[in-house]
Amino acid sequence: MIGHVAEIADRVRAGETKAEEIAKTAIARIDALDPQLHAFLAVPREKILEDARAVDRKRAGGATLGKLAGVPIAIKDALCTHGVATTSGSKILEGWIAPYDATVVARLAAEDAIVCGKTNMDEFAMGSSNENSAYGPAKNPWDTTRAPGGSSGGSAIAVAARMTSAALGSDTGGSIRQPAAFTGTVGVKPTYGRVSRYGLIAFASSLDQVGPFATDVRGAARVLGVIAGHDARDATSLDAKVGDLEASCGASVKGLRLGVPDEYFQDGLDPEVAASVRAAIEGLKDAGCTVHPVKLPHTRFAVATYYVIATAEASSNLARFDGVRYGRRVEPTGADLRAMYGATRDQGFGREVKRRILLGTFVLSAGYYDAYYGRALKVRTLILRDFTEAFANVDAIVSPTAPTPAFALGEKVGDPLAMYLNDVYTLPASLAGLPAISVPCAPTRAGLPVGLQIVTPALDEARALALAAAWEARSPAKDAVPPLAR
Amino acid sequence: MPNAAMKLDLSHIEHVAKLASLSLTKDEAEVMTAELGDILKYVEELSQVDTSSVAPTASVQLGPTAWRRDDVQPGLPHDEALAQAPRQADGGFAVPAFVEGGS
Repeated sequence: MIGHVAEIADRVRAGETKAEEIAKTAIARIDALDPQLHAFLAVPREKILEDARAVDRKRAGGATLGKLAGVPIAIKDALCTHGVATTSGSKILEGWIAPYDATVVARLAAEDAIVCGKTNMDEFAMGSSNENSAYGPAKNPWDTTRAPGGSSGGSAIAVAARMTSAALGSDTGGSIRQPAAFTGTVGVKPTYGRVSRYGLIAFASSLDQVGPFATDVRGAARVLGVIAGHDARDATSLDAKVGDLEASCGASVKGLRLGVPDEYFQDGLDPEVAASVRAAIEGLKDAGCTVHPVKLPHTRFAVATYYVIATAEASSNLARFDGVRYGRRVEPTGADLRAMYGATRDQGFGREVKRRILLGTFVLSAGYYDAYYGRALKVRTLILRDFTEAFANVDAIVSPTAPTPAFALGEKVGDPLAMYLNDVYTLPASLAGLPAISVPCAPTRAGLPVGLQIVTPALDEARALALAAAWEARSPAKDAVPPLAR
Repeated sequence: MPNAAMKLDLSHIEHVAKLASLSLTKDEAEVMTAELGDILKYVEELSQVDTSSVAPTASVQLGPTAWRRDDVQPGLPHDEALAQAPRQADGGFAVPAFVEGGS
């Protein structure tokens, strides 16, 4: 079994365990479990062991090790890893070896973490079930007939099945929080701009944010503390103080005002999820919080708003995949340049990616721009305003992370709209750029995990972590491991 | 919305596919017409919102972009940048001809 982030780092720093031993355990667990789960797209075993030995040599040489010494961390395949295949779950990047590290990956390594491979994901992060991966779906370790959620499904599984202690994902509309909820892990989407996106393969640039998964809240806080902060290589990264996020995990939550939005407890919410989340809110009340109803009246427009804005931005971002400089090229005999672009993109992209490129191109096209894209930007203002008004009276907003527990593989594949609607509770915070955490609460009778979502004002990750940790200490799901991974 | 009953047809999809440099087969284009039609019908609920006096939000970035010094930084070396090109010639990326008389 792989332990929590802080436990491993503390033991490796103290010389009680060698990083190489941890790395061997992680690899052994990946080899034993991943054939059933398909969380990983690449596991560079030799490099993992060599990186771990380098950490051990560093300590033997008298150096003090970093905050993540010897901690095995999996990386979503949307993040560039120098010398390791990086596909973003797409055939159009099959075999591409990233020539540099994403800033977040370099920051993990600088704190002596062990990067343990690349995780499965929906192609270009477009999906909520991991079934849009060009390399085959990943399986939920709590029930392998169910989806792990998406798009960062593989990262969530790696942590849930204790193959690694933590993982990085990216969240555009819920792609960290929803798989965290489905797999019983902690997942954090930081404030927009909190974490560098240099080396993240872009999906929707006004929404994308990198964040951690971990087996516990403290581990997520430590990883976030390492990756957060200004990066001159990302013009959208914020030059704002990060502070000691891990310290906030033990902070008192007494007197904090929790807002509960009616709009998140309506039709479409599974009754068992509702009961589990209500019990978690009661738990936070026991910890000294007060509970208040709040109104977020534009919530029901979030799905439509998101799917216009995100696809518009994606249609532009994905224009770079043209087969010219890297990745796959399809060049039919006698094809001119435009025909090469068309054939490369037709064969390189999967169904959902094409669907979103077409939708995004349509909503931006002459004659439709104002009616669709322009209007969605205005509704985004109203969604943002809902939060601003609610936060005038409360310190955090608590809700379910997703309306249902993990759904069956195949259940929503044929119905894109039904799949999109599963993101209804995670999209608003994304559109507003706010930090949000999913933390496990009581499972359903069938044993499926449920997530509590905590949203706080911009840059207030510390308070969201404090609340998540206060609930975790009382949660019946604390330290729960899926049977197949025990 | 231009009109609540915006009906997406195959010609829209073919036009948009061309703009997006996607060579769709006829079958694919027909399936996409139906699927995107359903999604757009759903999106049209945005027309219920009164946005007449609302400014658009294109970015939720907090505060201004940070300044950096205008120093020369090393970039990707030429050979590494070119190393994974599907086809290369004369130290550059080779592509099919796109001007008259090209090869």
